[in-house]
Amino acid sequence: MYFKINEVDKLASEVITENDDVKQLSPHAVQIDLLHASKSFGKNKVLKEIQLSIEKGQFIAVIGKSGSGKSTLLRIIAGLDKLSEGELLYNHSPLDESTVNITMMYQDSRLLPWKKVIDNVSLGLEGKEAEKAERVLEAVGLIDFKDEWPSTLSGGQQQRVALARALIHEPSLLLLDEPLSALDAFTRLEMQNLIETIWSNLGFTTLLVTHDVREAVRLADRIILIEDGNIGLDITIANPRPRQLSDPKLALLEEEILQRIMNGEMKSVSEKSVSL
Amino acid sequence: MKETWYDELQPWIIPSILLIGWQVIASSGVVSETLFPSPLSVIVSAWELTISGELFNHIMASLGRAGLGMIIGGAIGFIFGILNGLSNKAYRYTDTTIQMIRNVPHLALLPLVIVWFGIGESSKVFLVVLGVLFPIYVNTFHGIRNVNPGLVEMGKMYKLKGWKLFKNILLPGALPSIFVGIRYALGVMWLTLIIAETIPTQVGIGYLATNAREFMQTDIIILSIIIYALLGKLADLTARFGEKRLLKWNESYR
Repeated sequence: MYFKINEVDKLASEVITENDDVKQLSPHAVQIDLLHASKSFGKNKVLKEIQLSIEKGQFIAVIGKSGSGKSTLLRIIAGLDKLSEGELLYNHSPLDESTVNITMMYQDSRLLPWKKVIDNVSLGLEGKEAEKAERVLEAVGLIDFKDEWPSTLSGGQQQRVALARALIHEPSLLLLDEPLSALDAFTRLEMQNLIETIWSNLGFTTLLVTHDVREAVRLADRIILIEDGNIGLDITIANPRPRQLSDPKLALLEEEILQRIMNGEMKSVSEKSVSL
Repeated sequence: MKETWYDELQPWIIPSILLIGWQVIASSGVVSETLFPSPLSVIVSAWELTISGELFNHIMASLGRAGLGMIIGGAIGFIFGILNGLSNKAYRYTDTTIQMIRNVPHLALLPLVIVWFGIGESSKVFLVVLGVLFPIYVNTFHGIRNVNPGLVEMGKMYKLKGWKLFKNILLPGALPSIFVGIRYALGVMWLTLIIAETIPTQVGIGYLATNAREFMQTDIIILSIIIYALLGKLADLTARFGEKRLLKWNESYR
């Protein structure tokens, strides 16, 4: 099952270099522990006895093919789905919404089309809290669009508004469910930089689900590969930020991980053709 | 593209030709003036009825019935639509019953309604209530059920619950569909009123028409029909205006 993991691990440790920057850590940042976590839908076991610990302020990327269970993992950590078995702890205890603030960005922006940009950002907030909306919009560079309807914005701008909406709540945990996958390459790069900068400044825990290995290598402290409901790979990348994609070691790591994912697929395909 | 005066004129060309043709044929005496009164004679009787204040009274009486029926029926349909849209339990208890009543053509109840409510105002209002209730119910219900579940999930993620979730996400999401219901109901409202006003009465556009029939005043009958059409158009315009205001976030209403 864990074939080639040694090579990838070795490569990852080569990539690790001394990082002098002391990263800001949010006072709200949360640690997450999954203990023997399983999730079944009917007879179908989507997550199998997952053991995973996410440190406070860590940027963790979860990758995997469609149907591997990575989205289920995200939904469980978000509190949208419940575990069938096992435990999920936020700062060593079950979810307490008064201390742990989880926000989320989706693949689609999920802005309310009937609210102006600024009202989308301050959704659910009142008074002083809502006044922060302007500052957050400024942070994502969209203050000039605050009185526009979301439908007049480009896809990238809409995702920025969604990011602002997630940030205004001062998240302990920011969940990113493939939020950049629908964007064009340039906008995606821009957004990656923006997310990285904001995360570095605010220091909340971040979980990014993506099928873009390059994005994961570029942004994450740690990459988890979910395969068939198991953790197939768990590697730490401590390269200094901002990372250059041209860095040959990063490129090699990306290649290795891709190989690792694709080999699994080719193997299963060839098995099938044999059985035919 | 800027509309020139000619562009704006275009839709009115054919109606004008028809009207002028009608006037020419009527005044040439080819057809009987009693059966096919000329547009001019219709205008003259409209003028006379307006001066005497009679027309205004009739219009107000009809508008009152239509409005009251619309408000009561609309409210009932809206409340049940929201309730059943939000709660599966309420849906299971009431929807089948509502659908059974909906499938009875409400105008067929006319004789029964007269027996129950007599020939007074309540029978007419009741029929309108019955007519407008269902389009509003069905469209409100579907509007609530078809709100993008992604948006609802997002709202819950941001801790919107109960009234806040309803006010910020469910109701605005259902609004385009609710407006479809309102506009459809307005059509049903006038249709029902026309039938309901054939129940003997002393006032209203329907009375004006029935009374004119007794005396073979075809010009007044035609006038009544035109007023019904104008009122229907007016109601639709009002609904459209509301749509434009409340749904201006939606490209298709801008």
